[in-house]
Amino acid sequence: MSDQEVRQQLKELMVSELNLEGKKPEDIEDASPLFGEGLGLDSLDALQLAMSIEERFGVRIPEGDEARPIFASVNTLVEHIVKSKASA
Amino acid sequence: MRIWVTGIGVVSPLARGAAATMERLVAGDRAFAQLSSFEIPEARARIAAEVAGLRAADVAPPGEDEGWSRTDAMAVLAAREALEQAGLEPRHADIDLAVGGTTAGMFETEELLAWLSRDPAAITPLKRMLSHPLSSTADHVRAALGPFRRVRSICSACSSGANAILLGAAWIRAGLSRRVLAGGADGLCRLTYTGFGALGALDPGPCRPFDRRRVGLNLGEGAAFLLLEPEHEARARGAEPIVELRGGAIGAEAHHITNPEREGTAASRVMHDALRRAGLTPADIDYVNAHGTATPLNDAMESAALRRCLGADIDRVPVSSSKGQIGHTLGAAGAIEAAITSMAVARGIIPPTVGLEEVDPACELVHVTRAREANLRAAMSNSFGFGGTDTVLIVAQPEQFPPPPGAAPVRRSVVVTAAATVGPLGVLGSHGSDAYLGPGSAPLEQGIDFKPGDHLDLARARRLDRAGRLTTVAIQTALDDAGLGEAARAEPALRSGAEIGAIVGASFGSVDASTAYMRRIYDKGAKYASPADFPNLVPSSPVGHASIYLGLRGPVFATTDLGATAESAMSTAIELIVAGDATIMAAGSVEEASPMIERCLGPVCSGIVDRGVRGEGASVLVFENEERAHERGARPLARVAWWSAWRGDGVHALSDAPPPDGASSCVFLGREEPRNALCLAGSRWADIPRRVMAPRVGDHEGAGGFAAAAAVAAIMRGDLSSALVLGGAPDRGYAILLVAPGRA
Repeated sequence: MSDQEVRQQLKELMVSELNLEGKKPEDIEDASPLFGEGLGLDSLDALQLAMSIEERFGVRIPEGDEARPIFASVNTLVEHIVKSKASA
Repeated sequence: MRIWVTGIGVVSPLARGAAATMERLVAGDRAFAQLSSFEIPEARARIAAEVAGLRAADVAPPGEDEGWSRTDAMAVLAAREALEQAGLEPRHADIDLAVGGTTAGMFETEELLAWLSRDPAAITPLKRMLSHPLSSTADHVRAALGPFRRVRSICSACSSGANAILLGAAWIRAGLSRRVLAGGADGLCRLTYTGFGALGALDPGPCRPFDRRRVGLNLGEGAAFLLLEPEHEARARGAEPIVELRGGAIGAEAHHITNPEREGTAASRVMHDALRRAGLTPADIDYVNAHGTATPLNDAMESAALRRCLGADIDRVPVSSSKGQIGHTLGAAGAIEAAITSMAVARGIIPPTVGLEEVDPACELVHVTRAREANLRAAMSNSFGFGGTDTVLIVAQPEQFPPPPGAAPVRRSVVVTAAATVGPLGVLGSHGSDAYLGPGSAPLEQGIDFKPGDHLDLARARRLDRAGRLTTVAIQTALDDAGLGEAARAEPALRSGAEIGAIVGASFGSVDASTAYMRRIYDKGAKYASPADFPNLVPSSPVGHASIYLGLRGPVFATTDLGATAESAMSTAIELIVAGDATIMAAGSVEEASPMIERCLGPVCSGIVDRGVRGEGASVLVFENEERAHERGARPLARVAWWSAWRGDGVHALSDAPPPDGASSCVFLGREEPRNALCLAGSRWADIPRRVMAPRVGDHEGAGGFAAAAAVAAIMRGDLSSALVLGGAPDRGYAILLVAPGRA
């Protein structure tokens, strides 16, 4: 799976799993923060996203503080997914 | 008026029995062990605090246990102990019952529902489904120990048990009850176990409340009941007080569905409120039994809230959490911990926080890690639930303080200031709901044409499921109609006047969503349990979401009672206002289109087999304290002239209802059922015209709420001067008499 495919699938997953109503996958910016000011997600969204990323990509996201940098943006999530899949 | 606690009953993971539980708590014992009730492959934690060796068959009538749950068994044992300790025989005629809970018979029915969803042709094992609805626990306590006159089932997630106790106290203070058995019961099940796991809220080892290294809670199960009675009634029969229930408060955070507000401002406001209603100050409090779940967020928030509320006394007042010993017993926790707090005050001993070794700097309090004796004049018990439902109870040594304010029972007058429905005819305000009285077609099978985006900001409402959205739109429409929408939306600092509360329930909860949630777990494993879906499965979630979206900070919870769910919510709202515990309450019900309810739950639990299209919808009325409504310049649309709630067949239930007003009266019914005729027969309302809503709004459990809304609209138009809203379900009924505002 290419970076681009992962990125596209991840954005689709975010829209459907987090019920981002009125948003399309292409509306989600690659580098914007996911939490707080950016997309406005919170810790409950992070849990839901981690669960659905594991389900879709077979990639685990660590819990707690280690998860923070991974959840920084779409870019960091894609990087984590691609790297984990490569080393699997 | 003083309210005495004259009996306490507890079934806990440590022991069966209140005294035995207290002894083990004081000894510092912990109840955590390998989970044995069920297995969950890939679960994040494997321990729990279970009530060992207890089966439904231990309390159910011989041969009947298939429709009973473990929750029922715990509830019946605890309720029986409370009666015994109070010196009251089971079957005593003059006792009311309030039961809090969240899961009822979920453990007994969750596998069955998943199985039914896989095979739509499967024959339903009907009897076991009887234990599914939240109201089944109260029904089975009634079957085992009743009759009980007024019975209510309450859910506000993890503060349910405490709310049931406060409702019982409200009934007594309003002079509606002579004695109330109030408490909560909750049994462990796969749904809650996997749900808290998905939220990352479980500690795989024994939990550590207030500890720097705490990572989460352990789940427990159990039940507790308190027997409450006014001092004069207790004295008249020679009963002794264990403690005095000084009072308490319920309030909503309007913040987030699972996370508490970090600074604890809302929780601290509710603590303040509880102290004020108890007629006490922080200087009077000698012990706090904390909610203390051992989740990182709760314990920090609760510590902050206690600091805000207790001020300088924070350095004096000892605090402990029982959850390091019995786990988090969810809907029962508020009742079990009220029982523990009461026994601590009565015996003069502070139970410890077990599992706390290294205090988190964010949780600096006077912690008690080993039980110690102390004279406890008064104590506080905290409970916080999903949706931000906070409840605080205060108990005290009998006669230690002057009676709390409001010494004599006062019944405040209640008016209706708005009504709203979301149904087949769309979203209708106070003026509109009598449209269902006109001619028209039956609703559609597949549910109503409801477009949430026309009424809600979907970005803010994205976490709300259909029931949450229906509920929120109904309440929003009603509050706007009552001129209260702006008040609710204002920033807390700019608010003036009373906080608005809401009571909305669904007869069977979110059955189809619960089934879908459990299917994922059975099909894919516990690690794929959805953390976002789980909080929406709690019976109080629709109204909890509505409170967050709309900024409601008064009492927020659900009541459910099968086909009389709307009527039970409306009656509870009236009772809280009458007692002075609430000022403005939106109350009603929400029902979603549900294949599972149509297929099995409705037929077996409500006894409705042959009916019209079920449909769906939500309805609420806004009830207000008449005096306060007048002060804010509101125009009442109707007045609550009389109301009643009963158990049994309803014969003679209307004997003390005021008479109808000749030609301009009408009886409004949700569904036409034989029990209505039985109830009306022989009463002064027997020959009054009747209007039945189900053929137009849908033959669902919430049709009674639409009947009430139509009654309000008809009175408002001047078509009627009085309307009797009558509703019921097997073995229960409710009646609310609404009259034109100017009438006596």
